[in-house]
Amino acid sequence: MILILKLGLALAVPAAATAAVCVGDPALTPSTALAAVADPAHPMHVAVWEVRVPRVVLALLAGAALGVSGLLLQDVLRNPIAGPELLGVSSGAAVVTATIVVLGLGVPVAALPYAALAGALTAGALVLLAIGRTRSPDHVALVGAAVSAACGGLVVAVVGLGTQGNVVVLFRYLLGSLAARGWDHVGAVAPWLVVAMALAVLLRRRVEALTLGDEVAVGLGVPVLPTRVAAVAVAAVLAAAVASVCGPIAFVALLAPHLARRLVGTVSTRRVFWVVPPVGGVLLLLADLVSRTLLYPVEVPVGVATTLVGVPALVLVLRGRAPVTAGAR
Amino acid sequence: MSALRLAGLLALAVGTGLALVLAHLFLGRSDLPPAEVVRVLTGRASAPAYEIIVLDYRLPRVLVGLGAGALLALSGVLVQAVARNPLAEPATTGVGAGAAFAVVVTLVLRPGHQLAYPAALLGAVLTGVVLYVVGRRSFAVTGVLLGAVLAAATSLLLVVDSAPIGTVLRWLVGSLNARTPEDWALLWPWLVVLVPAAWLLASRLNVWALGEPLAIGLGVRPGPLVAVVLLVAVSGAAAAVAAAGAVAFVGLVAPHVGRLLVGSDHRLLVPVAAALGALLLSLADLVAFSISVQVPGLATDVAGVPVGAVTALIGAPVLISLVRKEHRA
Repeated sequence: MILILKLGLALAVPAAATAAVCVGDPALTPSTALAAVADPAHPMHVAVWEVRVPRVVLALLAGAALGVSGLLLQDVLRNPIAGPELLGVSSGAAVVTATIVVLGLGVPVAALPYAALAGALTAGALVLLAIGRTRSPDHVALVGAAVSAACGGLVVAVVGLGTQGNVVVLFRYLLGSLAARGWDHVGAVAPWLVVAMALAVLLRRRVEALTLGDEVAVGLGVPVLPTRVAAVAVAAVLAAAVASVCGPIAFVALLAPHLARRLVGTVSTRRVFWVVPPVGGVLLLLADLVSRTLLYPVEVPVGVATTLVGVPALVLVLRGRAPVTAGAR
Repeated sequence: MSALRLAGLLALAVGTGLALVLAHLFLGRSDLPPAEVVRVLTGRASAPAYEIIVLDYRLPRVLVGLGAGALLALSGVLVQAVARNPLAEPATTGVGAGAAFAVVVTLVLRPGHQLAYPAALLGAVLTGVVLYVVGRRSFAVTGVLLGAVLAAATSLLLVVDSAPIGTVLRWLVGSLNARTPEDWALLWPWLVVLVPAAWLLASRLNVWALGEPLAIGLGVRPGPLVAVVLLVAVSGAAAAVAAAGAVAFVGLVAPHVGRLLVGSDHRLLVPVAAALGALLLSLADLVAFSISVQVPGLATDVAGVPVGAVTALIGAPVLISLVRKEHRA
């Protein structure tokens, strides 16, 4: 069973990636696409290699990172609706990015993730401080909504000061978008994701211990507070890196861990951990595919699509008969 | 509540209100000398253009701000009382987002002002029904998520229709920029109906606050009372959204400050909260406007900081402190 699942997931990623490269205007067959990638003289080479492929790669990377970010947050806070968007992490990154873009602060693209990270960590720390000790989902949702609303207010205030041109750009960015992203963007975000993912791999056993309760974790010799802080920081780095390049794409981080738990049929952080990245990646890739083809030639920002699909799905998951979430135990 | 203290509060409110109105009339983006404003107000304007600036732009803006603020606060007081939930308000229930979504739908289909109010009402009522059906158990999570979906749907429409950015900001976060006499003409009848209606319900809400069994024993019929109160509350929120967009947190902050000032007797609380809401929104608008004009070197085609950005920044800490108090109790 697990083998079939792994095989299916392993196949889903290249299948979705191929579909995303081939679908569009003009539509391509897989063999044409491959020829275009391989041959720099091919008439479609630029369209495929410089436009579609980097977008697909970025979607997979961002989706994977968001999924892992959500998994860490949900397990370490023992809260099924913890995610970077409800912890203010995404909107904290958005505030900083919006300020830099609108006020023309001349920050180089390569430094943007650092700045976004500072914003994300600040907002995340604020929410964690405000949440305090309780783990009630209502509590977290409302505090997260409050901090997100405040960040949203800041962003809109900043956007309101921009000119028509950068306001339109920002409006799309603020909803989360993968449009017009190239290898530069992949290159800017990749190092962050590699480092953060490596740290997440190291943390996964300790995070699992924490899902059993603080006392059990202490009994197992896992330091509770350092683990929690480290996991939240890694989750924030992942979400901020994505937000700095693609904007705050909502609900992938919330939904991917739930889907992965359903797929694997367990809440074990270690077992779910390896399933989340492909699930998140495919999720975001498909959402992007739908959002750029559904109303063609108008392109819907992918963040809108993930929200419209993600929220009802999340409500269904949370209302399911036996919620397979760490928080429900 | 001593009569002296009440009189003091009343004087303070009227004084603040007058000061706000005058501030709005004397400050503006166009450089109008204060003496000219006085001349316009005394009917001796030296040029028709001055009359237009003061009476057709500055005056409607402050009036719509006061009116929409009062309605939002009214809505907050009533819903908090009838649902016995101190956190209920248009932003945490998604009702504001629902009204905004409906308004944008009608604006996309049939441009023009006339349909905004009925559409807002329909959207608000439908959202309220959905919240009631889906989210009775965990009202906060459902309300916040519902608001997120509706806001995403609104942005989707705006992306498709590529409406001007002023409209985008106006409906998503609430803005009082560029209000006209027409806006005020559409808003004031709602005030005339809803403010007295809310006040007439006040003594029954006092009985309701004693708990449902006791209220029934004292002759209150729960079904009709809840229905009428919710109708007034939702209409108030809808009218405010139709006039100013989905302004968050005024409906939360004004009632709570009101309770701190005059206690929880609704005969006093309803008018006090309405007055506070009016002052709060108008003051926030003055702040938003001042930020917009004081940034040096700003381009001329900017949208300006919308008032909703300011209320979000004021309201977020209040919401957080309320959530913390709730969960400690």
